[in-house]
Amino acid sequence: MNSSTLAHFAVTIIGKDRPGIVADTAEVLFKLGCNVEDSSCTMLGGEFAMILIVSHVKPFAKKTLEAEFAVKNAGNGLSAYIRTLKDDEVCYRKPNGELCLVSVYGSDKPGIVYRVTRELADRGVNITDLNTKLIGSEDEQVYVLMLEAALPEGMSADDASQLLETLKNELSVEISVRLITPVSF
Amino acid sequence: MSVRTIVNYPNPILKAKAAAVGQIDAELHALVEDLVDTMHAGPGSVGVAAPQIGVSLRVCVIDVSKNRFGKDNNHGLLLMVNPEILSRSGAAVMREGCMSVPDYTGDVERATEVVLRYTDPDGSAREFTATGFEAVAIQHEVDHLDGFLFLDRISSLKTGLFRRKSYK
Repeated sequence: MNSSTLAHFAVTIIGKDRPGIVADTAEVLFKLGCNVEDSSCTMLGGEFAMILIVSHVKPFAKKTLEAEFAVKNAGNGLSAYIRTLKDDEVCYRKPNGELCLVSVYGSDKPGIVYRVTRELADRGVNITDLNTKLIGSEDEQVYVLMLEAALPEGMSADDASQLLETLKNELSVEISVRLITPVSF
Repeated sequence: MSVRTIVNYPNPILKAKAAAVGQIDAELHALVEDLVDTMHAGPGSVGVAAPQIGVSLRVCVIDVSKNRFGKDNNHGLLLMVNPEILSRSGAAVMREGCMSVPDYTGDVERATEVVLRYTDPDGSAREFTATGFEAVAIQHEVDHLDGFLFLDRISSLKTGLFRRKSYK
């Protein structure tokens, strides 16, 4: 189906984790005739978070989605946020550069996410996925950051590694960059 | 001799176990040639299995010699009839994609060394050990002959502690 005949929405659902959050959300979307085009859902702490790109044949109003989620989620502690996407926000652009996995870990301290991502952003590195977690014991907390990023054309994994080298000492963290560009068979 | 159209999932031929080749004849030679032409036509392609061009026979071709991961360790162009993986050892994860499953990739664990037996298009039996990227390619292509896609091999969405979203 031509994407311009479809209305697209970004739907964010988050609430205290329990069995059934995905089923309840999918039920609302299915009954409205919406299609889940892309989604990423995971547990964060004790919460379950869902981010979905959904589509529906035009005309379709955001308030229809909002009204159905308001009914479904009344009293169950889930919050829903819905944003209408413009046609030019929907298309996926495949990066031309290499894909890398950057792992950062060390004793917890403020600024790890900020300093690493700022360094990458300033060089045009585009983060495509990112997870962080606090691990270790209570007196010795360790911060772990894993991200996947598309490098700008011409930048190698070694270049990216070099770029983050000074942060290793400054933040006293381990940083490694690994090439994960997919191989197509 | 021609470049054939790659069959995409959900074509059922990709999920079927392909039949063993009974006799080596002109038809088989034509199939092998088409597989090679189709592989060379696919940008960066390092292998094609017969089911991927709509032929449910146990034939595949592989050439990792021009790939950056395979160029220093390979057996050149491999034309394989009725290939069989006799043993596997080691394990490594690589992010794979497949011409028959466009726009999706995922991390797959494969053996790093395989012992392979097959018949070449002249009818001679061959046996050798492949390692590294060539071993991965062989496992991916032989999987096609058994009706397995890399989607069947993605074992987890999480890598250790972390959710891993496959890159579209």
